[in-house]
Amino acid sequence: MSASAPALAKQSHPALAMRLADPAATLAYVSFLFGLLLVVFPVSFPRIIVQNWQNARLTPIVILFTVSLNLALYLGVAHQRSSKPGILAAACLGSVPVFLLAGLNFLLQATIAHTLSGNIPNALARVDEEILAHTYFALIAAIFGPFLVIRLGQQFRKTDP
Amino acid sequence: MVALGIHELTADWASAKWLLWIGLYLSLGLLVPWAMTRAWAHQHHSPLQPRLKQVFQNGELGLVSLMLAISVIWDLQKSQYTSYTIALGSVFLAITGIMAGAVWIESYCRRSTGTRFRPDRAWRDSRNLTLLVFSLAIVTEILLDRFGKVTAL
Repeated sequence: MSASAPALAKQSHPALAMRLADPAATLAYVSFLFGLLLVVFPVSFPRIIVQNWQNARLTPIVILFTVSLNLALYLGVAHQRSSKPGILAAACLGSVPVFLLAGLNFLLQATIAHTLSGNIPNALARVDEEILAHTYFALIAAIFGPFLVIRLGQQFRKTDP
Repeated sequence: MVALGIHELTADWASAKWLLWIGLYLSLGLLVPWAMTRAWAHQHHSPLQPRLKQVFQNGELGLVSLMLAISVIWDLQKSQYTSYTIALGSVFLAITGIMAGAVWIESYCRRSTGTRFRPDRAWRDSRNLTLLVFSLAIVTEILLDRFGKVTAL
């Protein structure tokens, strides 16, 4: 009985196999919410984003939001399927958004410097729109990216997710 | 730093092209194929009355998503955003589009080789990924619409 107990425990809680469709619906709702805010508050919502970016608060806020959402999604799927969450996947969910958002922020700063240095008409308004678009794409990438890495990593396992 | 007035952005929502664009994709991509199956059944006096889920049960929605993603990437490429923003948006749209298309490919491979295939899972995966691509496409078109108005000022 005691010898078969670990095997039984392993059988009842298999390692969690994620599918990209699992976070896709939640991510779509986040995206719809962003779009809705953009349509309903076409001036104040972008202003909040731009002001927070200028105060260097936007990236930490987005990191906190994406990491929390990713972990909640992952643990939710694990609970739903009665599967065991993996430590590597959890580490990936915690680290990939941080690297991704920090890297994209550096690229955005270089882009803004390039835009402002050129003789482009209405440059300030263009920069605001660039920040808005960047924030949106970075937010979505920071949620979807880790799950994509996990999904591709699962290809090396001998499972049928 | 937001240099736009509310009137510049909201005065012509009625003429916002993205609303028409959404309607076109919803009708031509989803409703027309479904209506055509009904029309075929009616023409051939068949009792077939498939639901939307049954029409797209093999993950065909993934292919619709891929086409949708390609069209938005094309719009992004034509925009006056910086090359960095265009690249970021295009790569991300392409990845999600390919992943949605991969649902149909996996489904096809499983059915062709006799590997275990679950239509409910193919439908769920393609539906969720299509919802994601569709939401990405809508917001990208809204952003492009805003940026177009800024550059026109």
